[in-house]
Amino acid sequence: MADMKHKVLSWPAVPIPTPDEVYAGLTDQAKEYPLSLEAQLRQSENFKKPECLTTIRVLDLSKGMIIGNWCSSMLSELGADTIKCEPPDGDPLRWQTPFGRKEYMVKDAETDEPIGLHFLHEMRNKQSITLDLEKEEGRELLKKLVVHCDVLIENYPPGQFDAWGIGYRQLKEINPRLVYAWVGQKGQWGPSKDKPGNLDPTAQAACGFVHGTGLPKEFGGRPTRSAMWMADHVGGTATAMGILAALIYRDKVSGKGQFVEGTAAEGVIRILDYNWAWYGFDGSIRPRYGNWDLAINIYAVNPCKDGYFMVGGGHDRLWYRIWRTVGQTRSDLEDEMLDDKSLRVVTARLPHLKQVKTYTILADWQKDFSRADAMRELLAQQVASGGVNYIDEVAEDPHFKYRGHVDEFEDRLYGKVLYGTTPFLAHKAPGRLKWIGRPLGYDNEEIYLKLLGLGPTDVAGLKKRGVV
Amino acid sequence: MATDTSSGVIKQGLVLTCTKCSTKNFLDPYPFWNFSGNTKCATCDTLYAVKFVKGQQVSGPTASTGKADLLPGYAEDKNGAPVTGEGKIRPAPQSRPDPFTGQQKQVTKSLRGKPLSGSRLKKEDLVGSRARFIADLHKV
Amino acid sequence: MATAPDFETYCQQLFDHKTAAGKPEVLKGYRVLSCTQYILGPSCASYLAELGAEVIKIEAPRRGEPMRHTTPFNEPLLYPLSRWVPEAGTGLGFFGANPNEEFVSLDFHRPEARQAMLELAAKSDVMVQNYRPGTFDRWGIGYQHMSKVNPRLVYQWLGGFGGWGPGRVRASYDILGQAMGGAFGITGEAADRGGTPAKHTIWLADYWGGMMAAVSILAALYWRDTVSGEGTFIEYSQVHGVTRQLESALPLYGRYGVRRERWGNWDTELCVHGIIQCGKSSYPDSKNPQEAEVGYILVSAHTDEDFKKLCDVIGKKDLATTFAKHDDRVKAENQTTLYEALEIWAKDKNKEDVATLLDKAGINNQPVWNAKEVSENPHWKMRGSVQWIDDPNFGDLHHQGPAFKMSDTPPRIKWALKPVGADNEKVYGRLLGWTKSTLAKMEEMEVI
Repeated sequence: MADMKHKVLSWPAVPIPTPDEVYAGLTDQAKEYPLSLEAQLRQSENFKKPECLTTIRVLDLSKGMIIGNWCSSMLSELGADTIKCEPPDGDPLRWQTPFGRKEYMVKDAETDEPIGLHFLHEMRNKQSITLDLEKEEGRELLKKLVVHCDVLIENYPPGQFDAWGIGYRQLKEINPRLVYAWVGQKGQWGPSKDKPGNLDPTAQAACGFVHGTGLPKEFGGRPTRSAMWMADHVGGTATAMGILAALIYRDKVSGKGQFVEGTAAEGVIRILDYNWAWYGFDGSIRPRYGNWDLAINIYAVNPCKDGYFMVGGGHDRLWYRIWRTVGQTRSDLEDEMLDDKSLRVVTARLPHLKQVKTYTILADWQKDFSRADAMRELLAQQVASGGVNYIDEVAEDPHFKYRGHVDEFEDRLYGKVLYGTTPFLAHKAPGRLKWIGRPLGYDNEEIYLKLLGLGPTDVAGLKKRGVV
Repeated sequence: MATDTSSGVIKQGLVLTCTKCSTKNFLDPYPFWNFSGNTKCATCDTLYAVKFVKGQQVSGPTASTGKADLLPGYAEDKNGAPVTGEGKIRPAPQSRPDPFTGQQKQVTKSLRGKPLSGSRLKKEDLVGSRARFIADLHKV
Repeated sequence: MATAPDFETYCQQLFDHKTAAGKPEVLKGYRVLSCTQYILGPSCASYLAELGAEVIKIEAPRRGEPMRHTTPFNEPLLYPLSRWVPEAGTGLGFFGANPNEEFVSLDFHRPEARQAMLELAAKSDVMVQNYRPGTFDRWGIGYQHMSKVNPRLVYQWLGGFGGWGPGRVRASYDILGQAMGGAFGITGEAADRGGTPAKHTIWLADYWGGMMAAVSILAALYWRDTVSGEGTFIEYSQVHGVTRQLESALPLYGRYGVRRERWGNWDTELCVHGIIQCGKSSYPDSKNPQEAEVGYILVSAHTDEDFKKLCDVIGKKDLATTFAKHDDRVKAENQTTLYEALEIWAKDKNKEDVATLLDKAGINNQPVWNAKEVSENPHWKMRGSVQWIDDPNFGDLHHQGPAFKMSDTPPRIKWALKPVGADNEKVYGRLLGWTKSTLAKMEEMEVI
């Protein structure tokens, strides 16, 4: 907000630990393994290494939904030459900002054009061109562009591209090697196929995820969506798998591309573990179970003194370690639990009432501990545990900072941007960030000149006619 | 359970032990973490006014009148036997009309009535092919 | 000449899951060793199995991996657990993370096992493992050892925090990944509306993390087979993956010091685009509490045009004037006003009533469907997103379809899982040349 007066600390507020601090007290032998991993995987070494997908060019025509952007981000992080192709007035996502607050957008140094942070985060390593597909001339240009592309991603309403003469059926005649991917919420065919404008969390609601997330009614809860456009992330990742598989098949076997379809809902349906099997088994409809688990105990998040705290003890040895830890300050609680013979094996603790008992007692211990203190106690017994982190804590977590899960990138155009780095760490050909994003149509000249052999005056003409 | 009488008030935390019948009433953390109102003993229906802020009992339990605003999530009587039932504790989340048993279900047919290997087997059931086994299930 | 089918028919024929079995598989001829347990590692290998790779899942002898012993409320299981223990079953916790795989048993601690692993790795393309960092190296089957016997091997490690850095010794589970990574804290109703942080009720960080790792494996195979000829070591930390998903939260915090908070069932960037409560249940007479509960529906009318239509439908034309601009609608306090008005309107309706009215007006909506509604939905059934499979081991199973579709080389579900050690003879005999007597000896020594 314009009247924001608070001082923003520069990141990191607390210095990133040094290797000496991290491995202090370890013997040389004990240090050897993590240090050898570090040497192989450190992101600071990325630019000395090749990239997996440098031979691949991706044209991302998706707009208005993050699924296409996410899918192309997976490929661009791994080295694909990725061109984000937007309508002349930009992908609507480009202008979206939380609660409509323009002051939360950032501007680039050259054009002073604002960009929403959500969009910027998924513009990584991509160039931006514009093209008006509503115009015949634009569609003709697209046909010329795809000759130079290996992958095309689009999310227009089902059949729109086909009707325009630029669908899979037509483009495969122009470029038989093209891998054509359609992405959306529920699909481009079938009785409930995508309507224009369907956006995540449509998929989250349509696949059973929302019904199963959140506290149960009996705890005062209601079905809950993910804060993120999570289904788009899952569907986009799944589609990236399909695209890579199609590329492998093309280059090893067939020499031809194919049609890939990925939807946010089916990505999540795939990973809704036993929902479908359980229904088929005896008609069970998976209930919401809040922050507890239907199939494992102890495995839950419960409130504690300063927030919410996770304790995991999936097998019986950990059960004793957890209560031993609790017993250090609350021997009454330890006795209560260990005296109950009915709770000794994990399967016996799964019935709901046993879970209520377990977690009420655990919470009675946790209520006197902060997340950090509870974690210290439990980690001393090697029990997997940790607090629910808020964003500032995520940004400052020493482990994340040390490994570069969170990092600040100094972009030529956008200045310093804190961002979530690619999790593709590898010895030989890792993923990486090369630039954070581009203003709308920033690369028109370069791409149209380079790929289509147009001259600068041709591009000027296209601009004048509103095609780009 | 631990009691802290230093302040003159019996502090019991999230496990409320009934002063009359010694039933342990488990006031589960999500509904009770920040709660002010009446709850009751699952066994003898004695009403207690309690107030929790961030899981800490700031007042109560004291005898109260009226009706329970929130029932315990679970309770065990003085012998450790479960106290359950409608109006005693809050209902459990369910996935079917019939309550969860917590026991391994024995099923030989799927929801749509086709053979499914969902029940305990004996050594001799494994002799021969799975095709034979499934053919046998068809006869069940 | 026959006329070309309309686009929808064309797609339906092209992607029909019932024809998948007759089409080629992408990863046929690729061998994957899956030394994994729980969900993160197994799911990663299973995505490759759906694409046709020969995935050999290696489990502890007799009991198998821990997920086999988890199932909701301890009720549904599939029998037998193994030929040695027919009276026990595999829980549904194992389901969905291990389709199409071959199952062998092996006790990694044993010297005989190390030899077998080295020989298997020499004949494989990918190895996936999720044991604690350094454990396999200690057992002599780490990347340093395997890359010597097979430099073309893509060696994927997956786990919670990664093998180096301050948190390297910490064990992790899915919800710990969600919690520490940041996704947990921003999901759920806001505190001032009585909400708490909420976990994503799928093992999101595990199942989706496995997918991320599968993406990097496929990319590494592509690079190996078209460019370099070399394998590599890949490390996937699930908590790193979750942090990658936080959308605008990190740049917003870094640039402006603003901490993203929970916003429940509404959307921070679009309005109207949120899930509302309907006052009535769709199945008021059902004895199943999952059905008797009132309904919920996503209402999406964020464009000015759609919003105006929505205001007409709910009989609140004044709102269309007051909040004519999206920049106004999307403000936090105005979102509250708008969703409250919608819930008042929906109070005497169930989710289908609301959907019908909105459909008629051309407004996007999506009822919140439960597992039964999804399972019985004609759209998902036709697309094979959920499907009944005739499992060769366990019979009639209801299974999720693959996560994406391909026209020429579709991923597919062939079987859901197998008992522990079901393929010992086949795999050890065929790949390592173990004879009947060797197999018997190994079994007796409990190496397998």
